[in-house]
Amino acid sequence: MVSIEIEAFTRVEGNGGAEIIIENGEVKDVRVKIFEGPRFFELLTLGRHYWDVPDLEARICAICYLSHSVASVLGIERALGVEVPEEIMLLRELGLLGELIESHALHLYLLVAPDLFGYADAIRMASRHGEVVKEGLTIKAFGNYIREVIGGREIHGINVKPGGFGRYPTIEELERMERQSEALLKLARRAVGIFADQEYLGAKAEHYVAVNGYLYGDELIADDGEHFDYFQHIEEKTLPYSFAKQSRYKGEVFMVGALPRVMLKHEALTPMAKHLYEEYKEKLSQGYASLNNLAQAIELVYALERTKEIAQNLLDRGIKGENVPVEPREGEGIGYVEAPRGVLLHHYRIDEKGNIAYSNIITPTAFNHAMMELSLYEEAKKRYGSSDEVTFLQKLEETVRAFDPCISCSVHVVRL
Amino acid sequence: MMLKLGVFELTDCGGCALNILFLYERLFDLLEFYEIKEFHMASSFREHDTLDVAIVTGSVSTQRDLNLLHYARNHSNYLIALGTCATHGDVQASVEGKIRDKLERVYGTRANPMKALDSTPIVQHVAVDYALPGCPYDKDELYQVLMNLAKGVEPPTKDYPVCVECKLNEYECVLVKRGIPCLGPITLGGCNAACIKCHLGCIGCRGPLPKEANPASEFEILKELGYDEEYIRRKFKTFARGELRW
Repeated sequence: MVSIEIEAFTRVEGNGGAEIIIENGEVKDVRVKIFEGPRFFELLTLGRHYWDVPDLEARICAICYLSHSVASVLGIERALGVEVPEEIMLLRELGLLGELIESHALHLYLLVAPDLFGYADAIRMASRHGEVVKEGLTIKAFGNYIREVIGGREIHGINVKPGGFGRYPTIEELERMERQSEALLKLARRAVGIFADQEYLGAKAEHYVAVNGYLYGDELIADDGEHFDYFQHIEEKTLPYSFAKQSRYKGEVFMVGALPRVMLKHEALTPMAKHLYEEYKEKLSQGYASLNNLAQAIELVYALERTKEIAQNLLDRGIKGENVPVEPREGEGIGYVEAPRGVLLHHYRIDEKGNIAYSNIITPTAFNHAMMELSLYEEAKKRYGSSDEVTFLQKLEETVRAFDPCISCSVHVVRL
Repeated sequence: MMLKLGVFELTDCGGCALNILFLYERLFDLLEFYEIKEFHMASSFREHDTLDVAIVTGSVSTQRDLNLLHYARNHSNYLIALGTCATHGDVQASVEGKIRDKLERVYGTRANPMKALDSTPIVQHVAVDYALPGCPYDKDELYQVLMNLAKGVEPPTKDYPVCVECKLNEYECVLVKRGIPCLGPITLGGCNAACIKCHLGCIGCRGPLPKEANPASEFEILKELGYDEEYIRRKFKTFARGELRW
């Protein structure tokens, strides 16, 4: 038995690698290893007052901090029986859209595009394809602008709170979002063409899982028509070679992320995004993991269109800026959010004083862990013996990259 | 002569490395003076070499982190501890208890095949030449530090609390006027009071203000406002467990 190591994935967030096990000249097994250290977030929030918890949970991940704050706030509000008006939900959605724009732009233009153009990174790519890199940075900066306004800071702002917000956006800020989202649509539209040409990599998932709403909701859905709470059909197990746990849906490997979202929820897409979905429907339904990149590009168009819609809507009706009072009481709740890379949930039990008594967090990269391994396995099997080693490893890395893994997030998937 | 730069990520949320990319065009200005030899979040390119400047983010949470930190220290002339994980330990270091107990509670086993360690800031393990805290740090500040180093100037450090920037922005004091727990008076400034701008209290993400801070007085103020001692203690220790002892 020999094994080939991918020592550390590059152009991904966090520290992870893989081991490909070869036996009798054939690929026998693949293990995705997460060696980002454990961070024990469930222990961190235990006993803390609910008000402070979303700020702490945001620190799980910088790329999707707002998804974590919003999931945390939704879980807490459900536990405490709090209902917020539409205005607050629209603003939260706006924040999630900003995050999706920032995160997808980072992933597509800075992390994936260098593979398609044949460079080690976006900085080297910029010498010949400066316009592509620049367009990506412009879109990403816009996403960050929304995160700053709604979230309170580009990274780890604390503005999203149970019951509402610390600060509400001004008319000028909303007008800027409306204007810029319109202007950037053209660039995002062009990106779809670039990523549509990527070759097929990885495996096809046995199932797709997503949240029932496009970016947030109150339950999960799957491609077999099931509506469910995560603990009903998703099982987790601990691995000896990784700080992340693995999940199965009804015992089978499944995928979360842009591709499952677009496939399961295309009805909810905005006009131009829906049109693009129709155009690439046949390709997307091939189901290979690498098509997640194309789905992300379509979602970039969706997010910009939807941002414009929400900004217009809020400008028309005017911002009231009234928080809902929150009273501590005993309760349990789950917040379901679509982080840019897929389903994210925060599950809490709160005691009568308002302190956290139980918490469980499952992140998209944890959900995708088994699917990442399966994809690497299929890709390695296909290429072993026919590709030279450099190409072999490069293609395996591209396969992992398609999941847009967020490894910092994945290491505290836990049940207490 | 271009300076050789390496970015090393230990265990963290990825934000401190990401924030470098958030410099956008100014990142290209820095690249007039620096060539990047290692930055795994951004590039597949890696060259083992001695570095003029090493940036290390995150806290030491595994044996691998510790090895990487020693590698960065041994191969660099100037090492920057970047972000509160590196300078004070941040949230993951504030989780109390022994590592094997924590593993058991979270993973259901005391086995530790991946060699996890109790999370500690890098300043506890190696000498650092410059410490820039913040969760995340202010990216303009990092830009200035790197520009200063490129020009051979030792970068200055900040020495005032968040309150100074809050006052300069003329924000209403949330602690005095609204009774919201705000750690601004005892927290190192440099964030432009971003959270008080949102009418919320400072949560202390840049770590305690060195020397002049008066945590005892802050503790009393919060107690008078009706917050219980355990609540205040945990709030104080969230980002810098090792520094404020209660």
